[in-house]
Amino acid sequence: MIPALWSVLESISNTHWIVVMRDSSYGMPAVQSFHLVGLTFLLAAVFVQNLRLSSVGMLEWSLPVLERQLRPWTYGAVTMVIGSGLLMFVGTPAKYLASNPFRFKMAALLLAIVFQFVVFRRFFTADTSARRRSTNVLVAAISLTLWFSVGWAGRAIAFVP
Amino acid sequence: MDLLHWCQWLEHSPLATAISESFWLFPLIEGTHILALPISVGMIVMFDLRLLGLGFKSGPASRMMRDILRWSKFGFAVMFATGVVLFMTQAGKAYDNVFFRTKLVFLLILGLNAVVYQLVFFPRMAEWDAHKAPFGARVCGALSLVVWIGVIVCGRTMAYQF
Repeated sequence: MIPALWSVLESISNTHWIVVMRDSSYGMPAVQSFHLVGLTFLLAAVFVQNLRLSSVGMLEWSLPVLERQLRPWTYGAVTMVIGSGLLMFVGTPAKYLASNPFRFKMAALLLAIVFQFVVFRRFFTADTSARRRSTNVLVAAISLTLWFSVGWAGRAIAFVP
Repeated sequence: MDLLHWCQWLEHSPLATAISESFWLFPLIEGTHILALPISVGMIVMFDLRLLGLGFKSGPASRMMRDILRWSKFGFAVMFATGVVLFMTQAGKAYDNVFFRTKLVFLLILGLNAVVYQLVFFPRMAEWDAHKAPFGARVCGALSLVVWIGVIVCGRTMAYQF
């Protein structure tokens, strides 16, 4: 890693409030609880959209309407997971930078975000009826696989070096 | 044998020891317990948002209940099975943990809340299906939303104390 960037990270991780968060009994559990509540809302919103996309449920809601109604919750949840995730990262940056599951998680996250905006979102601007169902199911399967991989990789950080 | 001793016996039983010492099994079970959150709790809170008028307003509540809660039943089966195994491996430590006890109380409250909804509000859903949910149903939704978040917080925090 670039030395200048590392020294910035190190000084952030030694600031008063980050040290308090890392060393107090309830700092990390609180941040991780935020992360999990955010994960629950985010992946639930992704799951509901994919159920609709693959015509398994929620057929009374059109795709654009469903996406629009879920958007504040999706964005709120993304803010929660990224905010709490950054706090965890700056708490012990060396641990995360050396972790293989963390690298995998960031790669999966990047892929999931790119897929979300480049492919997935496009499927929600018009209704599904114009497309073959198999195409919609394939997009839903890729989306779910990518997002749940991010979660699994996150859990692996605690167990795999 | 009292409950505490039973919990300690359970934690040190051959099966529980084998699971907690397994390189793959414990992470796999714990990971499944956490990654089932969006399917179990997540689907419930999505329906809570509909009850509270905070989302999914353009469609009938009864269809949403049918399409969404079937997944949460599957999610809860996974949650319960993995939760029982996780408890086995840490029963002695969980016994007097305040967050574990609070989590159980929260789950009891949520169970009662669900029963009240099924008995009082579910049979009359047709009357408000396309509209705003009645006040009592909104209270059930709000209680469910808040207490489920509490369950997640307690579950995550208790693991830090083991």
